[in-house]
Amino acid sequence: MIAVRGLQVSKSYGHFQVLRDLSFEIATGECYALFGPNGSGKTTLLRILATLHRPSTGRFEIMGHDGVTEREAVRSNLLLLAHGSYLYDELNAVENLRFAMAMRGASPTDRQIKLALDHAGIGAFADMKIRQFSAGMKKRLALAKAVLVRPQVLLLDEPYTSLDEAGMGMMNRFIRDIVKEGAAVLMTTHDRAKSAEVAHRAGVLSKDVLRPLTLDDLRTNDLF
Amino acid sequence: MIFFRVIQWVVWKDLISEVRSRETISSMFFFALIVILVFSFSFSMDQQAARELISGIIWVAFAFTGIIGLGKSFSAELQNDCLEFLQMSPAPKGAVYLGKVAANVVFMVTVEVILFPMFVIFFNLDVVEELPLLLLIFLLGTLGLSTVGTLFSAMTVQIRAREVMLPILLLPLAVPVMIAAVEATRGALNGNPMALYRHWLELLAVFDVVFTVVSFWAFEFIMDS
Repeated sequence: MIAVRGLQVSKSYGHFQVLRDLSFEIATGECYALFGPNGSGKTTLLRILATLHRPSTGRFEIMGHDGVTEREAVRSNLLLLAHGSYLYDELNAVENLRFAMAMRGASPTDRQIKLALDHAGIGAFADMKIRQFSAGMKKRLALAKAVLVRPQVLLLDEPYTSLDEAGMGMMNRFIRDIVKEGAAVLMTTHDRAKSAEVAHRAGVLSKDVLRPLTLDDLRTNDLF
Repeated sequence: MIFFRVIQWVVWKDLISEVRSRETISSMFFFALIVILVFSFSFSMDQQAARELISGIIWVAFAFTGIIGLGKSFSAELQNDCLEFLQMSPAPKGAVYLGKVAANVVFMVTVEVILFPMFVIFFNLDVVEELPLLLLIFLLGTLGLSTVGTLFSAMTVQIRAREVMLPILLLPLAVPVMIAAVEATRGALNGNPMALYRHWLELLAVFDVVFTVVSFWAFEFIMDS
């Protein structure tokens, strides 16, 4: 089944064209790694798929729901982990997770929250305010949120940034688990080696063109 | 059911954040305190003159204090891109709006309840009998300011000059609420029979309902645009 489908998606800001006629598909149970130089539109594409921006032309579907006309259904099916941590500084880790899940209509048990925090390796910091978290700990808490949500479509914008080696390992382990369960993962990254561990397919977005890559390309060639 | 839970969680989140940071209420309180002091030193009045003027002074202080709180309501969401989180969450946007309105009303009424005794002291007012009615007027007026102010706070949060734009947009639209609140407060403070200013209270209630319904409807479009 196709989880994410883009049909001639274009996005421009005024006269500046960021994306031009992008068509792509990601199946359930598949992880797609998207590369590209800075400013090539990778993050814009993720933000469009996450319903934060509308495409200027073209359309997209998430789990069969139209990305423009069925936004609520799309939002229920996906989760975006972006550069911003989406965490409230004055709340602690557990409170942030509870609030995030409440916004999705779910109320996890204490045990589920503890497991998610342990999964991300921050169980010891459950009661610490986010204000005191480092960038890497915030990233891990975002991972714990993804563990709780277990979305059908997971969008990751530079998932390895700020993470230490152990954190990157946890991120990849989670990606493997969720993909095995049938989720689709689209990640933008510059880390070829780490993404090659989990990606089934890869592509490079450069000069408005989405070019497919083989996994060997990730190890050998100059991508851009 | 989810709708009411989202309202509850948004209120909880805003209140707990404020209790821990004390950023909004303290700035609202000190601003209002300065307003009271400036007015009390500017006008030396007997009690009768004070009763005529004080309702306007009270609502000037409440409105501008409220604008500080309303502005922070959504600018706080910019931290760590939490506004984006709210935008793309599947939670009903109307519930998020009502949660924000409720939290803003709590902040504003809290400050008003602390400040009003200072008005009583500085302007030598005798208001014991009118207190329940005054509290009702404050609540209705604050709700009116909060419903439309919360909407404009969301509208202006991404604008660079949001601190300027919020009062520019909000105050003209809040004029009917302000006039009704001032007139009702004046009636209550003067000890007039209720029949003489009942229509102002009814007007306040009508504005509250209209502003809530329109803003509730408009909020989803603002969050999605």
